[in-house]
Order: sequence, then C-alpha cells, then structure tokens
Amino acid sequence: MSIALEQIAKHFGRQVIVDRVSLEVREGELFVLLGASGSGKSTILRITAGLLAPDHGRVLLHGRDVTGLPPQKRDVGFVFQNYTVFRHMTVAENIEFGLKIRRVPAAERRRRRDQLLDLVGLAGLGKRFPGQLSGGQLQRVAIARALAYEPKVLLLDEPFGALDVKIRTQLRRSLKEIQRKLGVTAILVTHDQEEAFELADRIGVLERGRLLEVGTAETLYAQPRSLSVATFLGGGAVLTGRAEKGAACFGEICLPLPAGVPHYEGDRVQVLIRPEQVVLSEQRTEGSMPAIGRGLITEQSFTGALRRVRVRLAHLAATRQIAPPLPFGEEGLLLDAVLPADSAPLSREVWVHLRGWHILTPPAPRLMVLETDSGLHAPLRLVRLLADRLGASATLVAFVETKEAAATLRRTLKSRLRDAGLSDVEVRFQYHDSAIQTIRQADPSHEMVILAPGPRRLKVPDPRTHGLDPLTLRILGESEVPVLLVKGETKSLSRVLICTAAGEHGKTDVQVGGRLARRLGAAVTLLYVARRAAEAGPVAHAHLERAAATLRSIDVASEVRVRESDSPAAGILAEAREGNHDLVVLGVHDPGSRSFFKIHDVTLQVIAAADRPLLIVPSREA
Amino acid sequence: MPHAEARQAKPRGPLEWLLIGVVVFYAAVLLVGPLAAIFWGSLSHGLGVFWRAISVPNARSALWLTLLLGASATVINTVFGVVVAWVLVRDEFRGRKLVNGLIDLPFAVSPVIAGLMLILLFGRNGWLTPVAEALGVKLVFSLPGMLLATTFVSLPFVVREVMPVLTYAGTHQEDAACTLGASSWQTFWHVTLPTIRWGLLYGISLTLARALGEFGAVLVVSAGVSGLTETATLFIYRSLDDRNQVAAYSMAMVLALISFTILLLMELFKRRADEQ
Repeated sequence: MSIALEQIAKHFGRQVIVDRVSLEVREGELFVLLGASGSGKSTILRITAGLLAPDHGRVLLHGRDVTGLPPQKRDVGFVFQNYTVFRHMTVAENIEFGLKIRRVPAAERRRRRDQLLDLVGLAGLGKRFPGQLSGGQLQRVAIARALAYEPKVLLLDEPFGALDVKIRTQLRRSLKEIQRKLGVTAILVTHDQEEAFELADRIGVLERGRLLEVGTAETLYAQPRSLSVATFLGGGAVLTGRAEKGAACFGEICLPLPAGVPHYEGDRVQVLIRPEQVVLSEQRTEGSMPAIGRGLITEQSFTGALRRVRVRLAHLAATRQIAPPLPFGEEGLLLDAVLPADSAPLSREVWVHLRGWHILTPPAPRLMVLETDSGLHAPLRLVRLLADRLGASATLVAFVETKEAAATLRRTLKSRLRDAGLSDVEVRFQYHDSAIQTIRQADPSHEMVILAPGPRRLKVPDPRTHGLDPLTLRILGESEVPVLLVKGETKSLSRVLICTAAGEHGKTDVQVGGRLARRLGAAVTLLYVARRAAEAGPVAHAHLERAAATLRSIDVASEVRVRESDSPAAGILAEAREGNHDLVVLGVHDPGSRSFFKIHDVTLQVIAAADRPLLIVPSREA
Repeated sequence: MPHAEARQAKPRGPLEWLLIGVVVFYAAVLLVGPLAAIFWGSLSHGLGVFWRAISVPNARSALWLTLLLGASATVINTVFGVVVAWVLVRDEFRGRKLVNGLIDLPFAVSPVIAGLMLILLFGRNGWLTPVAEALGVKLVFSLPGMLLATTFVSLPFVVREVMPVLTYAGTHQEDAACTLGASSWQTFWHVTLPTIRWGLLYGISLTLARALGEFGAVLVVSAGVSGLTETATLFIYRSLDDRNQVAAYSMAMVLALISFTILLLMELFKRRADEQ
C-alpha cells in the first residue's frame, strides 16, 4: 500500500474536523478526495503531508509509519490551492529549490529542471519570474517543483481551484498524463465532482469529516450506498417508499427490487433515479419499463449536447421526495430527465417511464454505549449480541474527570472489550462533560443508547423516583432515541415483550419494539395489563388489535396477552418472568407531563424492579 | 498608470486650484523653507568654513557617535523587530494583544519621558541599577544608556512595517518550502526573508532616520558631555547655545544630507514593497 491512513482524527476546538478516517491508496493510483468545503478533505491532506498533526491515528507511507515525522522527512510532494510559487525566484530556481535543499549537484539539477519544464509544458520559460506567468502556468510550475526531487507521493490540494474553466480542463489532462508517466501515487482534493470523475482512479467521498464511500466514479455514480453520496454526485431524484413483497412501492406503483439488495420487508426504502434513467414519451408504452404517471414539463434548459427537462407529477401515496427538494408549500413529485438536444420537442404533458433505478442501502445502525461513572461496567456482552444481530457498529462513550483517569480506563476497557469480542468498537472519552450533554448531542442516526443504570446513590431517596439514580432518569427524560437499560444477565435475545396500554401514546413503542424484534428474529408478545380481566373492555381489545395490526404491517407476528394484576408494573414483570422474555419494551408514555422526570410512574416502577433488560422508547409521533 | 489617468480625467474647478495652492504653500513653508535656510546658513560663508566647522574634534566625535548609535540601534531593532513581528503574526499566545499594543509605546511617549524612565531604572538608586552594576555595565551618562534610549525610540518601525507584509504573505509559501524539504532556517532564509525584504528595508530606513535624529531621550540619559556623550543633534543644540551658528548649521546640513539619502532609499524601498 502506497499511502495508508489509519483511523485519522482531528478536531479544532470543540469541532470535529476529521472523524476517524481510514484510507488506502494503491501504488501509482490517483485517488481523489471529494467533499464540500468544510468536509475535512484538506485537513486530511495536510495531515498526510505532516503539515498538521492528527489527534489520533497513524499515517503510513510505503509501509513506514511517518506519523511523528516532520514534512521535510516524508518525501512528499505537495501542490497547494493558491499559487505558492516563490515570487522572488525564477521558474527554474523554483523547480530546483527542492534539489538545492537536498544538495543535488548543479549539473544534475539543470538536467532534471529541463526535463520537468518539458514535462509540464513550460520548456523555455525557465528564466521567467512568476509575475510574468499566467495562473495556469504558475500551477504547472508548482507541480514541476513538487515533482523535482522525485517524491514517491504527490498530494494536491484543490490545485485548479483558482483557475478558469478552460485552463482547468487543460491542466487536468496534463496532470493525469504526468501522473501516469511518472507512476507517482497521488491524492488530489477537490470539491468539483466533474474534476473527480475525470481524474480519479478511485474517489473517496467525505462529509463532515467522515469518509462515506470509496469507489470508482462509475460505481459511486450508478450504485451509491448512501443518500449523501447519491445526492452529492450527480443529479436525479431520491424517493422514499416502502419495501413490499420484493418491490419498492410508491402507492400503486411498485418497482421490483433487484436480487440481493439489502432491505427490510415493510420498512422504508430509498430509490435513486438518475436523469438518464427517466424516459419521457407522448404515449404510455407497455413493456419492460414501468410507467410512473403523466406529468407536466415545468422547466427545460439547453446545455449543449443535452436538454434538461424537469417534470412535475401528481403526488404518489406513501411517498416522500428527498431530492430534488420540493419548493415550499408544493405537493407532487419532481423528476429530472435528460434528452439529446436535437430530439423532437415534447408537448407539455408527457408520460414518464423508468429505464432503471437504484436502491440505496439503509444506513448501518449505530449503537451508543454509555460508560457512566455509576461504577457498573458497560454491558458489553449484550452490546456484542445486539451488534452482531443488527449488523450495527457501536461507539462507547466514557465519562472521565482527568486525562490520567482516561488512560487508566482506556487500559481496562481495552481488555474488557477484547474479552467481549468487541475490539473494533470505537471508544470516546469525554472530559468534565455530563452524559446528558452527550445524549442531547447524540446523532439521531443512533439506533439506541445503551447503559447500565447506576446503583441507588441518593442518601434520602425521593419516593417518586423509586430509588433510581438521577443520571439514568435524566438520560431517559432527554434521549430522543430508545434507551436500553441493561439489568440482570442476558444470554439471548429471542423473546420480546411489548407492553402497551389503551388510550396512551403506545404506537411508537409497538413499532420500535416490533422492528427490533424482526431484525433480531425474536418472537413478540403484546401485553395489556388490567386490574381484572373482565375490565379489559372493548377499548383495550381494539387497541391491542390495532397494535397487532401495526406489527403485521411490518411483517411481525405477535401473541396477544391480557393479564390481570392489581399493579401494572408487577403485572408486566410477572409476565416477563413467566414468559421467559429476554427484553421488555415499554414507552416513556408521558410527554406532556410537567413533572421533573417526564416519565410515567409505571415505567419507573418497572425500571426500579426489573431483573432483565428494558427498552424504554421515547414517545414521538411516528 | 491608471491612477494618473483618473486624476487627469475630469476638469479642475476653482476650488481644486485653491486646494493645490494651499498644499504647495504648506509644503514650501514647512518643508522646503527650513531646508533652504539650513543650506544657506551653512554654506553662506563658503565651503571652507563649513568644512572647518564639522571637522573640529568635537564635531567629528559627535557625528561619529550619532552614526554609531544609529547603526547599532538599527541592527538591534532589525533583528528583534523581525522576531517580534514573526511571533505576533504567526503565534497565538496569551497576552499577544497586550504585547502588540505595547510595541507602539515609543510612538506615544515623549522621548524626554523615555529618557527619564531609563534614569529611573538605571540611575542612582534605580530599580535595575544593582543588576547593571553586577554585570559591570554603566548605563546612565554613558554609551550603553544612549544606545538603549535610541533603540527604545526607534523600536516600532521594523515591527510595524514587517507585520502587515508577513500577514499578507500567509504561511502557504513557507508550508510549500517545508514540504519541499527545507528546514525552518532554510525556509526563513530562502522564502520568508525575501518575501518581506522590501517592507523590512523600508522599516530599517525609518528606524535609521529616527535614530539619527533622536534628541530628547539621549539628552536626558547622556547629559551631552562634549566630545564624550554628545551626539550630532546635541552638538547642534549646544552650538546654538554658544552662538556658534556656523557649526550648528553645518552639522545640521550633514544630518540633513544623510536624512535626504535615507529618504530617497526609503522611497525606492516603499515603491518596491508596494509593487509586491
């Protein structure tokens, strides 16, 4: 591997600029890092060159760890975005600079300089001063200067950013030619998709410091996995529908899912439709291309070889459009299409067919495990079980007071993680920061927060809290994602008990619990606790029936149980014990509460007395 | 020159003619008049008298002392000025703003007060006198004190001229040199210094001009002992006091010539700096 970055992280102040980026660039490859401004791409390049030190991670150049080496010792050529050609030196002196520093004899320097001037197309301009050159020529000098001492690696930071379009195209071509000819491994950073496509052997797409996807231009364009990459590279529409019986359905219209596409039956699926996959015609055509409907052409623009057409269709049931964004207050569906510029003009109303489509991969679930200062260890065994079953990645957040404490904890955590078979878990430390803040800042993309509730620590327990520790209570009150409270010992996750109560906001927990159970492959029991079985009147039965239907709609079969008990909490716990359930799902159920804890008393009682894991689902309208 | 064209483009009204007249008059009275007077005063008795006036031992020693002080203060302020400018531009540290503000102190404080401060520090019972004595340096009424005073009053020029150039140049060229294999010293010598050279030369010439013309601070610190601690400006002052007009004018003439040369160089450097 020519260039290898391992888990590079960098932050400035409180802002994370580069978030654990790992990257491998092959010998002789031209790799392009593509991202919007502020995505951390230049930072990664500067870290590779040694102009910045990473907070974390290693930089390897040809197998040699250079993380601690200054730029001078890395043998890397660097071309900067703005003209950094030395103004007080001639072109020749600029190119010879690196050689002079390395004490290369004058004759050899001159030979090499002439060779490079020739290579970058500036032969005969060696005696000029930078002030007499154009922007494009200056960047040619910069490239020649960076290549003069034959570095093994060439890094280019938006080298054509300041040039006008025509010169940019010329320079791109020259650069690719030079890079091929010399066989030098290169990383180029750009925000320009066209540039990336034209130059790259492979492209890495960055967003907010994370490396989203790596692949060839063709793969990333035609088969992006994530929504971000799909919308960042090229145009087109992204629609969200539902996966039903092997197809992505948008109301009446169903597009077959290609075999092997990962999806969950009954769950939402995102479909990417590129403009060239949209076929417009005057008449509806019967055949292999499914028709989406009839639409109105709202915009047409001529771009030379192609004509871009935007069509507005009527809104499709149960469909959400993600891209292109709909103008505010408008309903309907917007699709972009491209036609050859010389094609016959279309009437305003056209039939829209699809030649192809691509299903985006649902984002990998992420688990956030909190290591609070409760004295209890994070429940790693259960985390392992969940991560394996869900194919999820886990982040362990530990709260510490000092750097020394972090170092000690890092050591013990390392061995504990290894023992639990979780050595690839990302561990983060937060200093003097409360868990609450982390919960608030938690990316909503986290599937759940996992923690072991702490021991009872209040000297005078508040009877309203049932002796639960305040931190756990606050986390439950603040979290917008489900919280898994680990209690008792867990060896499997094959039976899930979903507690529901009539007349309350029970819909979210049924859905969340059902979806989780389906992915875990677990059996589901729906429970309703009544004071006396006879009291479970028509309302309760109707509610249970609706809950069961909700589960059926996402392809989950459930057993329905009504239990008699004086105390709802005791009833739930007894049912869990008798039914040997591995996980109890219940809602916070009280969003409008004015009480400090915002949590229903029954839920608190269950949490306090439970002897097995609980999934507490925040109420939120689905 | 696009500016010149713009200036000539529109016709002049009477108000503009009036303004031009005021400016010319102002410059003539305040700048050209005194110069002409000195020229006249020193040469009206003939070149021989002029030459004799400035070649007496006291005059020669005063001139020599002035040049020595000016050159030394300039060297010191050049080296430290570049360092200070570098640190203030490139490093972020606690108190940076305070230091940045303090640099201008010599502009704000009257040179006489500056001299007084040195007396308080290094004179009899001065705070730092024990330190100076322990080092075996006598500061007040001697050369080191005068050098200190001259250095103090001419300190801001290099810093203030170099800082904007450094800020403007940015770190990109230095980073580039770094990736090309140059060490920090090589980078400074081959890249940074050539980048700031015109601004630096301009700052140096300002420093020298200021140092040569210093009067108040040096007078307070040195007491102006003829032939020992008397600089050119002090010589002029004493000559006038002694009603030795010719000596005063002649020395003034020499200083004016030196200053004029520096002024020419300054214009040249400034133009080059502006071009950059």
